[in-house]
Amino acid sequence: MFFRMISGTLFRQWKKMLMIAFTIALGASLATAMLSVMLDVGDKVNQELKTYGANITVMPKESSVLSSLYEVEGESSAGAYLREDELGKIKTIFWAFNIVDYAPFVNTTAKLDDGTEVTAVGTWFNHHMELPTGEQLDAGVTSMRNWWSIVDGKWLDEQSSDSGHVAMVGAALAQKLGIKSGDRLHISGKEQDADLEVVGIFDAGGDEDDKIFMPVDTAQAIGDLEGKIDSIEVSAITTPENELAIKAAKDPKSLTIAQYETWYCTAYASSICYQIQEVITDSVASPVRQVADSEGAILEKTELLMTLITILSLIGAALGICNLVTASVMERSAEIGLMKAIGAQNAAVSGLVLTEIIITAIIGGTVGFFAGWGFAQIIGHTVFGSAISMRPVVIPIVVVLVLIVTLLGCIPAIRLLLKLRPAEVLHGK
Amino acid sequence: MKKRQMYFRMITASLLRRRSRMIVALLSVAIGAAILSGLVTIYIDVPRQMGAQFRNYGANMIFTPADGSFTSEDITNGASYIDSKDIVGVTPYRYESVRIHELPVMAAGTDMEQVKLTSPYWSVEGGYPTGSGQLLLGASLAEKFRLGVGDEVTVSYTPEFKDRGSDETVLDNTADMKVEGILETGGPEEDYVYLRMSDLEELTGISGKTDLAELSISAKSDKLKEYAEKISSSVPAVSARLVKRVTESESTVLTKLQALVLLVTVIVLALTMICVATTMTAVVAERRREIGLRKAIGASNSGIIKEFMGEGMLLGAVGGIIGSVLGFVFAQQISINVFSSSISFMPLLVPITILVSVAVTGISCLLPVRSATQIEPALVLKGE
Repeated sequence: MFFRMISGTLFRQWKKMLMIAFTIALGASLATAMLSVMLDVGDKVNQELKTYGANITVMPKESSVLSSLYEVEGESSAGAYLREDELGKIKTIFWAFNIVDYAPFVNTTAKLDDGTEVTAVGTWFNHHMELPTGEQLDAGVTSMRNWWSIVDGKWLDEQSSDSGHVAMVGAALAQKLGIKSGDRLHISGKEQDADLEVVGIFDAGGDEDDKIFMPVDTAQAIGDLEGKIDSIEVSAITTPENELAIKAAKDPKSLTIAQYETWYCTAYASSICYQIQEVITDSVASPVRQVADSEGAILEKTELLMTLITILSLIGAALGICNLVTASVMERSAEIGLMKAIGAQNAAVSGLVLTEIIITAIIGGTVGFFAGWGFAQIIGHTVFGSAISMRPVVIPIVVVLVLIVTLLGCIPAIRLLLKLRPAEVLHGK
Repeated sequence: MKKRQMYFRMITASLLRRRSRMIVALLSVAIGAAILSGLVTIYIDVPRQMGAQFRNYGANMIFTPADGSFTSEDITNGASYIDSKDIVGVTPYRYESVRIHELPVMAAGTDMEQVKLTSPYWSVEGGYPTGSGQLLLGASLAEKFRLGVGDEVTVSYTPEFKDRGSDETVLDNTADMKVEGILETGGPEEDYVYLRMSDLEELTGISGKTDLAELSISAKSDKLKEYAEKISSSVPAVSARLVKRVTESESTVLTKLQALVLLVTVIVLALTMICVATTMTAVVAERRREIGLRKAIGASNSGIIKEFMGEGMLLGAVGGIIGSVLGFVFAQQISINVFSSSISFMPLLVPITILVSVAVTGISCLLPVRSATQIEPALVLKGE
C-alpha cells in the first residue's frame, strides 16, 4: 500500500514532482559545477601562469658569480658548464610530471662579416623528446618565450629537415644591421664558421633583442663548446611555499626525517630545485623569485576567490531547494488533512512525504550532477581550452548536500503539517 | 479611488495573512537578488583587485635615457604623464662599478622605499637599508665574500681621471659600510650590491645622475602602450619601454580569469533565477482554488492577473532591496577576505537588482495564474 501511494503521487502528481526534481537538479548541477571548477582552478591557473616563463634556473655551481662579473669587465666567460647529455634526466625526477617545459642555453660570441660582434645563443625551440615513460614532449623557447612577437618570418622549427643552418634574430639587432627574414648570414666563431638562414625576427622587449638565437648544436659548433650548456630554464608547476618549504630551502639537512619526506614529496619550488640538483652534476638550481612568488600569490587569491563564490552559490542552491520543498509540501495540506482524518498516524504521514521527496531528490540530483559536470566542461573549454578533471570527492559532497538540504526543507513543512487539525483543513481554513 | 484602495488592501492582506508561505517566497527572492548583486559586484571589481596582485611581478615599464643619461627630474617629469592613482612605484637606478675586497662589483644606487613597491618579490634576509652607511648585498656576492648580515665591509670607488696628463696618483674614494641585508631573487640581482642613492652619490662624488627607472603601473596593456608613447614623445630625455614579458603575460592571464568569473557568474545567476521562479510558481500554483472561487463570483481574468502580479512584484521589490544589501555585504566580505581591501559600493546595481527580481517574480507568477484563469472555475473548484 505504501509503495502504491508513493508511486501514485509520483505518477499522478508528476507535474509537481517534476518541478521539485527540476529545482533539485538545478541546485545539484550548480553545486557540482562550482565544486569541480573550484577544485581544478588551481591547476588551470597555474598552467596559465606558465606564460611568465621559467620559474627555476639551473646554473653551473662554480661559475655563476665569476662569469657575470667578468662580463661586466667585457671579457667572455670561462669556467664551468653543465653537460648536455644530462638534460633528459630532468624529466626523470620525482616531480617530473610537474615539469611542463624546459630549455638549455649556451652563449657564445661570434663575428659577422662586417666585423660586428654578436652574442649567439643556442637553445631548444620545439625540441622533441621521447621519454622513457612513453610520454612525448615538445620543449623549448617557442612555448617558454610566448611573449616574443614575431616581427617578420616565423618561429624556427627544429623538427624540419634543414634545422642545422637556421637562426632567429632579435629585432634591435636586425634593425641595426638591416636583416630581414630569408636573408643569409655568415658568422665566424672561435673555430668554425657557419652559414645561417634567418627564418624569423622577434621582438622580446628586453636585452634578448640584441642576440641571435639558433639550435644548440649550431651554437656549440661556433663556440667550440661541444656537449656544454651554460644554463637551463625550467618551467614547473609548483605549490605555493609555506614555512616548511622556506626552512627546507635554507638547509634540507635541518629537517627531521618525516618533515624531509613531506617536503621532498610536495611540489615546492625548493624541493624541485633540490631534485634537479641531484640529477644534474655540479649544478645550482634556484627558484626565480619574480615568477615563483607572484605565482604563489595569484594562485592563492584565485583559489580563495573561487572557494568563496562556491560557498555563496552552494548556500544559494541549498536555500533554493529548501524553499521549494517547503512550499510544495505545504501545498498538500488538504491531502494530508484528509489522510489524518481517516486515521493516518503522524509518523506514517511524515514517512510518506519524506520518501516521496527523497526519491524525487535522488532522481533530480543524478540528473543535476551530470548537467553540472557539463557546465564545468563548458567553463573549462571556454576559459582554459581544456577539460576540467573530475575529482571523486565532488560526488559525496553533492550527495550529502542534496540529501541534507532536501530533508531540512521538509522539516518546517512537516512540523506544520503535523500541527494541522484535519477538521480545519478539510473545512478549508 | 476606492477601487485602488481595495486593490492594495487585498494585496497586503494576502501577503500578511499567508505569512509562512510568503516568508518562504520572500526568502527565495532575497537570496536570488543577493547572489545577483554580490556576484556582479565581484565580477566588476575582480580585474582591479587581481590587477593589483599581478603587480607582484614587478615593473612593467622602464625609462631609459634617450641619449646617455638623465636626471631624477626627467623621471618625475615622465611619471607625471601617468595617472597618479595608477602608479604603484617608481624606482630610479644608477649603476657604478665599485670594488669590495679589491674585486670589481656592480653597485646600484636606488630608493629603498620604492624598491619594495616595484620589486615586491625580493626576498631579503635581515632588512632593507634605512640609514646611511648601510647596504644590501646580493646572495651570490655574499657567499663569495663570505659576508653575513651585520658584517662591516669597505667599498671603494676609483673616480674617473679628469686630467690624464697629471701624474699625481688619484686616491680611491672609500666608505665603510654595514651589510644590512642579503638579497635573494634567483636572478641576476644576486650579483649586485645595492646602496641608497645618497650613499652612492657621496661615494662617487657625482650626484643627480640616473641610468634607469623601473615603474610599476596598474593599467591594462593598451593603456600602458598609450602612456609609453606619450611619455617618449613629450619628454625628450626619456625613452619609455614596456617590459613585454610582464605586460603580455598579465593581459593573457587576467583576461582568462575575468572570463572565468564572468562565466561562473552567468551560470550561477541563471540557475538561481530559475530556482526563484520555480519557488514562486509553486507558491502561486497552490492558490488555484482561490482563483477558481473568485472567477465563480465574477472576477475578471485581467483583474485576477493584475492582483497576483501586484503581489508578486511587491515581493520582488522587497526581496530585491533586502538582496542588494545582503549581496553588498557578501561581496565586501569576499573582497576583504581574498584581497584584504574593501569594495566600492555601486549605486547603479541597486535599481538593477530590484528590477531583475521584480521581473523574475512577475514572470514566474504570470504563468501559473494565467493557466489557472483559463480553466473553467467549476473544474478548478472541484479540484481537478
